[in-house]
Amino acid sequence: MMTRLLILITSAAVALGAAGALAPRLAAAQVQLQPAQPAAGQPQPAQVQPAQPGLQNPTLQPAPGERAPRVTVLKRAPHSDRIESNGKGMALLFWAFALVTIGGALFVVTRRNLIAAVMGMVGSFMGIAAVYMMLYASFLSVIQMLVYAGAIMVLFVFVIMILNRPEDEPVAPSGRAGQILGGAAMLYLVGRLVMTLINVQAPESALAPPAPVTVPGTAIQHEWGSVKAVGTDLFGPGLFPFEAISILLLVAVVGAIAIARPLHEDPEPEGDAGAAP
Amino acid sequence: MSNILFDVGYEHFLVLAAVLFLIGVGGVLVRRNALIILMSVELMLNAANMTVLTFARMWGDISGHTFALMVIAVAAAEASVGLAIVVAVFRGRRNVDVDRLTTLRH
Amino acid sequence: MDISIKFWGLPLLAWIVLLPTIGATANLVFGRWLSRGAVYTIAIAAVAAAAGIAAYLVFGPLLTAFKQAPATAVIDQPVYTWIEVGKLKLDLVFRLDTLSAVMILIVTFVGLLIHIYSTGYMASDPRYAAFFGYLNLFMAAMLVLVLAGNMPVMFIGWEGVGLCSFLLIGFWYENESYATAGRKAFVVNRIGDFSFLLGMFLLFWATKDYTAGSNALDFRELAGNSQIQSTYVTSLWGGERLAAWAGIFLFIGACGKSAQIPLFVWLPDAMAGPTPVSALIHAATMVTAGVYMVVRLSFLYASSTTALAVVAAIGLVTSLAAAFMAFAQTDLKKVLAYSTVSQLGFMFVAAGTGNWVAAIFHLGTHAFFKACLFLGAGSVMHAMEHAGSHAPGDIMQMGGLRKRLPITRATFMVSCLAIAGIFPFAGFFSKDEILGGAWSVEPPGWPWWTGKVFWAGLLIAALGTAFYMWRLYFLVFGGEARSKPAGEAHESPPAMTGPLIVLAFLATIAGFIGLPHLKGVHPPAITHGLATWLEPVVSNEWNDPPPKEAKIAGGPESRLASDLAKKAPDAPCCCVPGDQAPGASAEGATTAKQCAQKPGAMCALSPTKHCVLEETSDGTTYLLMLIAFSIGGLGILLAWLFYARGPSKTVDRLVAGPLGPVYEASKHKLWFDEVYDQIIVRPFKIAARGLFEIVDRFVIDTVAVNGTAFVIGLFGRIARWVQNGQVQRYLVGIVIGAALVFLVAQWEHKATFEYEIDPSGNTVRLVADPGGGLSTLGKVEWDLDSDGRIDAVGPEITARRGDVGTVTMWIEDPISRKRISVTRVVIEKTPDSPEGSK
Repeated sequence: MMTRLLILITSAAVALGAAGALAPRLAAAQVQLQPAQPAAGQPQPAQVQPAQPGLQNPTLQPAPGERAPRVTVLKRAPHSDRIESNGKGMALLFWAFALVTIGGALFVVTRRNLIAAVMGMVGSFMGIAAVYMMLYASFLSVIQMLVYAGAIMVLFVFVIMILNRPEDEPVAPSGRAGQILGGAAMLYLVGRLVMTLINVQAPESALAPPAPVTVPGTAIQHEWGSVKAVGTDLFGPGLFPFEAISILLLVAVVGAIAIARPLHEDPEPEGDAGAAP
Repeated sequence: MSNILFDVGYEHFLVLAAVLFLIGVGGVLVRRNALIILMSVELMLNAANMTVLTFARMWGDISGHTFALMVIAVAAAEASVGLAIVVAVFRGRRNVDVDRLTTLRH
Repeated sequence: MDISIKFWGLPLLAWIVLLPTIGATANLVFGRWLSRGAVYTIAIAAVAAAAGIAAYLVFGPLLTAFKQAPATAVIDQPVYTWIEVGKLKLDLVFRLDTLSAVMILIVTFVGLLIHIYSTGYMASDPRYAAFFGYLNLFMAAMLVLVLAGNMPVMFIGWEGVGLCSFLLIGFWYENESYATAGRKAFVVNRIGDFSFLLGMFLLFWATKDYTAGSNALDFRELAGNSQIQSTYVTSLWGGERLAAWAGIFLFIGACGKSAQIPLFVWLPDAMAGPTPVSALIHAATMVTAGVYMVVRLSFLYASSTTALAVVAAIGLVTSLAAAFMAFAQTDLKKVLAYSTVSQLGFMFVAAGTGNWVAAIFHLGTHAFFKACLFLGAGSVMHAMEHAGSHAPGDIMQMGGLRKRLPITRATFMVSCLAIAGIFPFAGFFSKDEILGGAWSVEPPGWPWWTGKVFWAGLLIAALGTAFYMWRLYFLVFGGEARSKPAGEAHESPPAMTGPLIVLAFLATIAGFIGLPHLKGVHPPAITHGLATWLEPVVSNEWNDPPPKEAKIAGGPESRLASDLAKKAPDAPCCCVPGDQAPGASAEGATTAKQCAQKPGAMCALSPTKHCVLEETSDGTTYLLMLIAFSIGGLGILLAWLFYARGPSKTVDRLVAGPLGPVYEASKHKLWFDEVYDQIIVRPFKIAARGLFEIVDRFVIDTVAVNGTAFVIGLFGRIARWVQNGQVQRYLVGIVIGAALVFLVAQWEHKATFEYEIDPSGNTVRLVADPGGGLSTLGKVEWDLDSDGRIDAVGPEITARRGDVGTVTMWIEDPISRKRISVTRVVIEKTPDSPEGSK
């Protein structure tokens, strides 16, 4: 019980802290973009100006033996890192949220108590939402919180309450050979993926904050990752998937009802584990 | 070493997503409770989402966000149907141990 | 001569073999649905047709050719190419020359008579059709043996007759001892066959280079090819010639087939078969195959006196031993069996003294009178059985049958006279030929008394032969009936007595084609018919390498006797028909002068060569004939004395007293069977049992069969792990597969580096790529201008263009601690480009 409470509070605090850290930047971004709208005729994306001087182009002649250096800028202006995902503070936040995410995931995978697992899942989702924020995916971050942590996890909790039965033994007793083989494969995959992904070299332009999204056919620009930007894409090129998703959701609802309802409509008393029709 | 620690770049997000994904895979493989398995699947989907969003950020392509939104919607649909199945199974068997769901073996 | 007489596309000689085969197939396959009449009609018709074709060929084309030129009296009919591998080319070729002509006439004619006899003898047997089928099959195999043109085809027939012998001896296989007798015959024959094969292989090995492209082991090649002739006398092993070893091996094979010591033990047991079988196979045909083979290979045996001595010695010992064993036998057929063995010994002594003609002569006469004896015995046993006897072959229960079975008795007596060597029956002449030849043979390199020893031994054997045969006669037909069945027996039907009469008649007159050569008497040529007839195919001269001093005074060696006669008229000359005049007769000439008088005859190559058969004077010949006749008479007299009135009390007294051990030895057949059992059969059975336990039980059953099942089960258990119905197990498979995909896709990716020349041309960027597999990015060092010194360190460097030439990168993998170097030419350094300034 106490464990669960602790996890809940920690993750909530972290999430709030993240939101708090990032919110000023969002506000600033909104404010920043508005003066650019009248300049509709210019197709070129307007840079977010205050960021420009902060950037330094990376040198072409680094000292031998060093990696290409990242652009390191230390600004002393207030809300200094509201725009860039750079700097040591951001790094710290990243690691913190990463820890929360991984920790929650591990909880899910190792806990015997289902409710503990669900709590871990929720914490993980919150961490993921924070990480999404760091990736300038603000809309999706909120959607993550609302849909995943808010709806799907609640659904899980409902079902857990219906089942109301702890698991006998968390780990499947598969044979030694399978464990060894599977474990080896997993370790290798982890190593391989990590090594591959570590060496991903981003293009130079990707170090800067992303450019705003232009509504096609107009000169209106929205901040990258915002609701409007995502909406521009969703109801533009992504219209067909959107409609298809709605049908999918309809099918899912109908299917869930069809599967989960009892087979025969006999009015039996509530003697079993309260299976909801 | 300090570079990895203090200079957070795209690879960090990608690695985080990969690790999350593999934890999800581990959960699917190892756990016996159907609900935990479903939750692990959700973890994997989230990891995929994170990867997509990282690359969207990298290339400045907003359609990645649309994709991720679709993934979330699909995950929700799948979770609901999956939970409905779990409920139906539980009704018949009084437990949700996937190791006992072996009637398709022969 | 190649006569292409074909009938329906097959050579006529092939039809001689084919007809009995067809008859056998018909009777064996369809026999159960055919009536008895149909069965014996098919069988007899097949043999009669074969006999007819044989007679036609022999007395038609062959005789015509012989009259014109004896050396060309050969009908050669290949059927098809049987084997063609490397140096070995074998045709299935049937050849009818004068020797095989004699044999096929005997075989088909006696065979026909026995087929007719069997219709009566086996009339009440349920497996009538099988019997006739086997008989026909035997005829086919024997004809293949006799008509064969090369040794492997002869071996086909050789084995075929062995098989039929087994089938026919064990014909009444419901009786365990009869079946065992059949097996014994086959196994002992097989031992002989093995030796035959060794001899054949030895011959092939020695002659294969000379017959490449044509028939291997063809008799004509082996006999006529002079290169091959010279290989026979080459020394092989132990100081003996090739011909000696080959001859001895082949002769051991003949011992097995013709029941000589040490492989004769099957023949007395073979009396378990029906009497026609004994008559046909074990008197007239199969057992003579060994003699035929030796005579056929006369050229080989004439090349080695050692081989001949072995043949003759074993023949002599066998004839003596078999005669000894026959004294105490009380079974009618067993006495005849030992008699056969003994007479075969006679034939082998004849062959062993180079007297090929006498061997064949005795073979023929023996076929007639022995077949007659066996059929007569069959008639007696048939009569006894029908009269209710339970041991129809026991001669002690017979007696006085001369009154009850007159025809049988008459033919039996004629045959006994023939076998004892009484003038004018056939056995007298043939035996006398053998004795005469033995007396006068002088193999080069052997003591002068060699032939005399053989002669003396044969004489004792002849005495014994006469004695025990007439003992048999008197005990069976003489005296008074000693048991009730003997008193009530009645004569056999004409189907059985007919052949008896025919054979007895032949036994009477057949001797007159082989009279001895008497210089003073000139009977019609037919009396020397056999010798003349066989002359082209047997080897009349010793095959010795010509001695070094073989020169005729006055010039090169001349084969024309006339030349030689001028120079040295009394020089010994082995006179043979010459090649230019193959029809010449060279009989009777031993000196060059005499040979010169024969038109077209030649002296053999070396003047120091001897003819195999020396001439004897007339006086010697008459004396020898007289001695042989009197010995025969003496034997009959002794038998009459002791047994004329039935079993003799004198003999019983002698046997109980001083002659007891001798009698026991004779009765127990010199304990050959017992000795063989201890030495060979028992150890073999123990070895077989041991092998069974080890190989069969352990290796095959436990290791191979059960082990295979176990391994398969093991793999099944492993494979079952993959599919147990649990989805999570399948997901593990997916994960493993994904890991493998990563692994495989990256494994080949070697470490390398990429370079990018900046568009402005001043700088070059080099990026290290650690490669796939399990490697990671470790320490990277660069050598930019191939000067051997490390210029830079780091996974990614940028250098000035002037510093860069051929770049070598070293990368050290922290996990595997391997240092890999990659060298690539980044910027070509032309000779006149300025060196990069550092």
